[in-house]
Amino acid sequence: MSLKYGLMGLLAEEPLHGYEVKNRFEAMLGGTWEVNIGQVYTTLQRLERDGLVQPVGERGDRGKLLYRLSAEGQKALAEWLSQPDSGPQQLHEDIYVKLLLATRVANGDLAPLLARQKRAYLQRLRDLNRLEDQARRDGRNDLARLVRGALLHTEADLKWVDELTADAHGGKTE
Amino acid sequence: MGGRANGRRAWWEDGMSELVRLTDVTKVYQGGITGALNGVSASIERGEFTAIMGPSGSGKSTMLNLVAGLDRPTSGTITVGGTDLAKLSEAGLARFRRDHIGFVFQFFYLLPNLTALENVLIPAQLKGNSATVRARGLLDQLGIKEAADRYPARLSGGQQQRVAIARALINEPTLLLADEPTGALDTHSGEQVMELLGRLHGDGQTILLVTHDAKLATRNAARVISVMDGKIVDDARLETTERSAAEVIRVRGEELKR
Repeated sequence: MSLKYGLMGLLAEEPLHGYEVKNRFEAMLGGTWEVNIGQVYTTLQRLERDGLVQPVGERGDRGKLLYRLSAEGQKALAEWLSQPDSGPQQLHEDIYVKLLLATRVANGDLAPLLARQKRAYLQRLRDLNRLEDQARRDGRNDLARLVRGALLHTEADLKWVDELTADAHGGKTE
Repeated sequence: MGGRANGRRAWWEDGMSELVRLTDVTKVYQGGITGALNGVSASIERGEFTAIMGPSGSGKSTMLNLVAGLDRPTSGTITVGGTDLAKLSEAGLARFRRDHIGFVFQFFYLLPNLTALENVLIPAQLKGNSATVRARGLLDQLGIKEAADRYPARLSGGQQQRVAIARALINEPTLLLADEPTGALDTHSGEQVMELLGRLHGDGQTILLVTHDAKLATRNAARVISVMDGKIVDDARLETTERSAAEVIRVRGEELKR
């Protein structure tokens, strides 16, 4: 996911200065992505350089500058929104590498690692269930959809660990 | 970090009172190993919402049936509320089930020639009192007041399961057992049923739930027992403290390179 297009999307709604666009971006993500203000300014400057956003008027009090999305920016944003995510699948978590190493290092006994990982996933499922309920209670159906995605991913992770556990026990899975 | 899902306490350490105890319970089935139990010990406290999870044939439903007194173990002891189920005669076991156990099944098992209200009343009539007011109250509480006088065939799956839950609750059971109660329901109805179980638990109901759906299990259960090949392989107590979105999910951005 890209901060660049996130900022552009918010500027498509109305002109904003750097600090506002940062706050709105973080609020949109419901606290799941904290952005450094310096990073926001750098991004806005690059977008301006590339003609995708334009400053509106002069610098205001305390040097605040409003930006709006340019016509070219509108086009680029629409293009980005219409493209599916088709790159390589991102597996960021350490567990993938831990599993491979545990096979080599821990006499191939994966059971303890898998049992601990399963608990962590169950805890995450519980936490995500709460967040989903909270988002719905707050009327944030957009955030609830994001949490739902995380929930279903975690469910898949859990199924994977269950499958590996059954293999480790020499048993069978459903 | 390390203790997140590992805050495991023995039942006697936190002042709760034990409701169910299985001690070295074994169940052998003639002619096959599926669903057998092999030396299972566990303790369930009053007021707990516990989920039992495991693959098909792992023995999770067998555990529930034994606790319900629907079946007897090959060896080992099961006590519920201090009563050793092995000491009860068949008639005693039937009384025990009627007075202390509410059971919800995957396929509802409502009698088709009785209305929803009449189905709910069956266990109450067995007990010899007319509990129509309570039955109507339950149907109301479960959001299906309007279905009281309809026959099961005229109800949706979600409604039928709620009637079955009302039937399970009519005698104010000490223990509510649910075996895959959402297994025959669509996602939405399943979530509603789980929400309902959550509310009952909030009112103090002890619930033992068998499910293979971890999403639904962790909605309410703070304890997840994993069963595999007739043995308990894990007993996880989950933390119930609220965590902020940032502690649970991190959406990662790709940095702007140019």
